[in-house]
Amino acid sequence: MNPFQLDVDELEKKARSIRRKIIRLNADSPAGGHTGADLSQVEIVTSLYFRLLNCAPDRLSDDDRDIYIQSKGHAAGGYYCCLAEAGYFPEDWLPSYQHNDSHLPGHPVRQKTPGVELNTGALGHGLPVAVGLALAAKRDGRSRKVYVLTGDGELAEGSNWEAALVASHYQLDNLIVINDKNKLQLAGPTETIMKTDPLDPKWQAFGFSVTQCDGNDVASIVSTLEGLKAEGKPNVVIANTTKGAGVSFIAGRPEWHHRVPKGEEIDLALKELADV
Amino acid sequence: MSNSEHLANVMVQCFIDAVNNGVDLVPVVADSTSTSKIKPFVEAFPDRLVNVGIAEQVMVGTAAGLALAGKVAVTCNAAPFLISRSNEQVKVDVCYNNTNVKLFGLNSGASYGPLASTHHSIDDISVMRGFGNIQIFAPGCPVECKQIIDYAIQHEGPVYIRMDGKALPVLHDAEFQFTAGEPSLLREGQQVVICALGSVVHEAVAAADKLKEDGMDVAVVNVSSIRPLNRQSLANQLNDARHVVSVEEHNVNGGLGSVVAELMSEQGIAAKLVRLGVEDGGYAAAGDRPYTRKMLSIDSAGIVKVCQQLINETSM
Repeated sequence: MNPFQLDVDELEKKARSIRRKIIRLNADSPAGGHTGADLSQVEIVTSLYFRLLNCAPDRLSDDDRDIYIQSKGHAAGGYYCCLAEAGYFPEDWLPSYQHNDSHLPGHPVRQKTPGVELNTGALGHGLPVAVGLALAAKRDGRSRKVYVLTGDGELAEGSNWEAALVASHYQLDNLIVINDKNKLQLAGPTETIMKTDPLDPKWQAFGFSVTQCDGNDVASIVSTLEGLKAEGKPNVVIANTTKGAGVSFIAGRPEWHHRVPKGEEIDLALKELADV
Repeated sequence: MSNSEHLANVMVQCFIDAVNNGVDLVPVVADSTSTSKIKPFVEAFPDRLVNVGIAEQVMVGTAAGLALAGKVAVTCNAAPFLISRSNEQVKVDVCYNNTNVKLFGLNSGASYGPLASTHHSIDDISVMRGFGNIQIFAPGCPVECKQIIDYAIQHEGPVYIRMDGKALPVLHDAEFQFTAGEPSLLREGQQVVICALGSVVHEAVAAADKLKEDGMDVAVVNVSSIRPLNRQSLANQLNDARHVVSVEEHNVNGGLGSVVAELMSEQGIAAKLVRLGVEDGGYAAAGDRPYTRKMLSIDSAGIVKVCQQLINETSM
């Protein structure tokens, strides 16, 4: 059971709080940050950690807990802000993001941060490991679900498609892949760098059950994820998002892939993200 | 155990014994069921094997996931494809994540002989030595192989085991007790100390025995444990040597030759070192085992010749 079980209004409020943390965390970083990627996934991780995941900070050794894997490891900052908000570690760790010997390095490290299930950062690693976790749960008769969040640019990594074959072959209907489809990657638009579209028929051809949702709308995410069925096929949810969502001057701007707010940008962003 | 046995058969029997003893062991293969000779395991436990198809990256990633879920995950496939194709999965999912995965590099070195360099793994030890966390072993005989695998299964954390692809005779007697990190002295001698690992230990022993017949006194040290390595134990074997020869079916860079050179340099051991193996910048030849080894001077005749030259240099 999720310890929060927030409703849609509460999730939206939580998402704003996490966004404010993301702005401050990146502003405090001595080594830049992936602000755009942090912001595009906010509603997804908020919905998971505050409503959907059968997991809690005091249940990290529970073999039946749901597992969330942040395969797009460069959005560690956004992930950390959500984990802190959910009580996995003290919020006063957040200003140490990317500082020397921090609990919060630039990519997730499970040995350093409570709640992190897998060290990622090199792309295309989350899904194969999730396949192993889901397969073990199936064989052991556990109720556990395994969620993996990937980027859309990340889907150019071939290891994802190796893993997709295996997930389908072993009928891992306890596996839920979420594509944070923000349509931008390091060098520019995914459409022009390396087109991963159309995603639906690709996943379908690999044997997945495919659903789309608005990845920056908690109501859409919650209804989609809660409506998934475990009927012998792995699930993929294509979450259509905007990179940098929530802050007008960051949203949809490729230069914010690896840029952090500075000076008056910090106050401007926080003002946009204030609770009404 | 018969006097000569394929190491993959030893491996599979260790897996069967482990499951029978309550270990939640899951083999993961990449279509490599025949390579790993895993059939007896599948017959004993029909629902345990995971075969991911010809896909080494997901083989290692899946193994890491199984390990995170509490399994002892063991991957079994040809060493060249494990090392090169799933290199980043080994680095990140196994080593960096410190998952309880045992990687079996089957048919390592130039075991595949005539199948040529795509199928040779002459870089596996150097690659693994560059990664953190992982323990590295290369058994030279069935008795030692069983003990290394039994150790690896009970050890919590990543292990790489370099497995030769041919039946190998027993080198160690029944009293032999493998200890991780400890080199074992197989032949005593003063004039040259040969350090070897894996199947070429047999070439080194044959060379030492031939040299002894000719009145020369050559030691053989089996360095099957690359990490951990008790550096003092190995230094003790080399301290009084006039000459040292390292022998491996592997590139001399990063493998045993490098291990020995680094140790001698750091310990101030002044003997001359000759490193036998695949030379800098080279490949193993495509050909049968005797031919490949002859080309690299890692057959017993080649080792004899090198040792004779070293001894003759001293007496001149």
